[in-house]
Amino acid sequence: MLDLPAPISDSLLQLVHTQRVLAHLMVDDVQDLVQAGGHLAHYGLAEVRCGAPASDQIPFLEGMLPLVETPFLIRSMAMPSGRVADVHFFADGHAVWIVLLDVTAEHEEARRVQQKAYDMTLLSQREARLIVQLEAANDELTRAHHELAQSREALQQTHDRLQRELRDAERYVRAILPEPLLDPLKGPIQVDWRFVPSTELGGDSFGYHWVDADHFALYLVDVCGHGVGAALLTVAVANTLRSEALHHTDFRQPADVLTALNKAYQMDRHGDLFSTVWYGVYHAGSGSLRYASAGHPTAIVVSGDRESVGQWRSLPAVGPCIGLLPKATYREEHCSLQSPDRVFVFSDGTYEIGPPDATMPEFDTLAEILTQPVRDGKSELDRLLDYARKAHGPGALEDDFTIMKMAL
Amino acid sequence: MLQKKICLLGAFGVGKTSLVRRYVSSVFSDAYLTTVGVKVEKKLMTVGTQEIALILWDIAGEDEVSAVRVSYLRGAAAFLLVVDGTRPETLETAESIQARVFKEVGRIPFFVLLNKADLEHEWTIPAARMDALASAGWTFRRTSAKTGDGVEAAFEDLAALFAK
Repeated sequence: MLDLPAPISDSLLQLVHTQRVLAHLMVDDVQDLVQAGGHLAHYGLAEVRCGAPASDQIPFLEGMLPLVETPFLIRSMAMPSGRVADVHFFADGHAVWIVLLDVTAEHEEARRVQQKAYDMTLLSQREARLIVQLEAANDELTRAHHELAQSREALQQTHDRLQRELRDAERYVRAILPEPLLDPLKGPIQVDWRFVPSTELGGDSFGYHWVDADHFALYLVDVCGHGVGAALLTVAVANTLRSEALHHTDFRQPADVLTALNKAYQMDRHGDLFSTVWYGVYHAGSGSLRYASAGHPTAIVVSGDRESVGQWRSLPAVGPCIGLLPKATYREEHCSLQSPDRVFVFSDGTYEIGPPDATMPEFDTLAEILTQPVRDGKSELDRLLDYARKAHGPGALEDDFTIMKMAL
Repeated sequence: MLQKKICLLGAFGVGKTSLVRRYVSSVFSDAYLTTVGVKVEKKLMTVGTQEIALILWDIAGEDEVSAVRVSYLRGAAAFLLVVDGTRPETLETAESIQARVFKEVGRIPFFVLLNKADLEHEWTIPAARMDALASAGWTFRRTSAKTGDGVEAAFEDLAALFAK
């Protein structure tokens, strides 16, 4: 016992009894409840029965008895009533006293402080994890950026190399185009042309040459599409015509030429590409122009003095595109020409200008421009090209622009 | 009836109270309410033909300044170490607690509940560490107090140890 004056010990006892809502239990050596008193109802223990096993009635006693150390304290234990108690255990001979003291108010205060502290700690831990994740993501992005830069550099080098190769190819395509025949003293026929591919490599090609002393062949090839594939095919077709490299074919017979050409360039053996071709042969002695078309736009003849407005007429001809039908045949047409007639052969890019949904200039408009007199030395070919560029607007033309003029 | 004391231990905020509430009362709240001291719940269950009363001690979590009072495990038949899968540091706390329990109370059975399985996509605990602990005899169970996944099974598996 503490050596305290009786008034003090009485006062302390009174204080504990009134403020801590004391309740007490006693458990014997066989762990039966042998005594219970104080404010048991305050803790939800009013129903406990003496003489019965203690831990069956008071779950928190399970395993706690016999005491290993005395006294023993369990702080802030929630009781069945919802109140919170400090639970004091101490031995008394073979029995154990259990004293409950209410600490609900202190518990609630401590819980509020702890809640705040834990909330803050959890937030800071989450923040730290997010920072780690962000740093990892940033490292990953930096790595990806670096790899992207390397890929881009490699891509740029490949692009530059391909551009160089494309320019070489473009130079080759242009190199095999024939020189214009502009000098009237050098022959009865003058030929001029304009060729503007929509990309660096187009699908148009053309040519003309004397098949023999009397027959002058003129032809234009337009392979569907643009780019390397179309350019390779159009060069191949034009070279075939230029070098007259079709067996058993009379290159003075336009229908025979297109028939043989169609057999040689079927699309299933040429990258699924097909082409339109106009092929004509002018006979200088008779002034006759015989021609055939494989799906190509109609050619035009403009008659009349070049210093005044001319009259135009079309040269109709029909036939399937080269490469589509293995057994296609072509019909020969003809017309008579006389000086100063001008024959214009062109690809559809000369009048189908602009994106697909744009308003297209009429074919007749093209013909009208070609009938205009030559002024200030500016040929009708340049006027037509100016018109096409103005109608199209800024940027490269959507399709290859190719036109040939054969003048007598 | 067989009556067994089971203690739930672990770092603060790992979901010990939520697991007990889910198992005993089938409820869950997203609001985090910290535990101070101890709360004891009783759950009756049957394993085979054996009726068992689990006395569940939900003990306040450990933090940097207050350690779990291992003496509270006196008389416990087993304990559950609860770990928050999204907070790798809570596995370190569990390892520390397990070592102290074995030292001061003895080698009593325990399971490790990897809680918050509903957030498994956010788990950051290294698989290699878990493999190493599993090799050392740790038994892991994935649980979610939020969805209830794995909770009842974990307690049933634990109770099965006593019914044998």
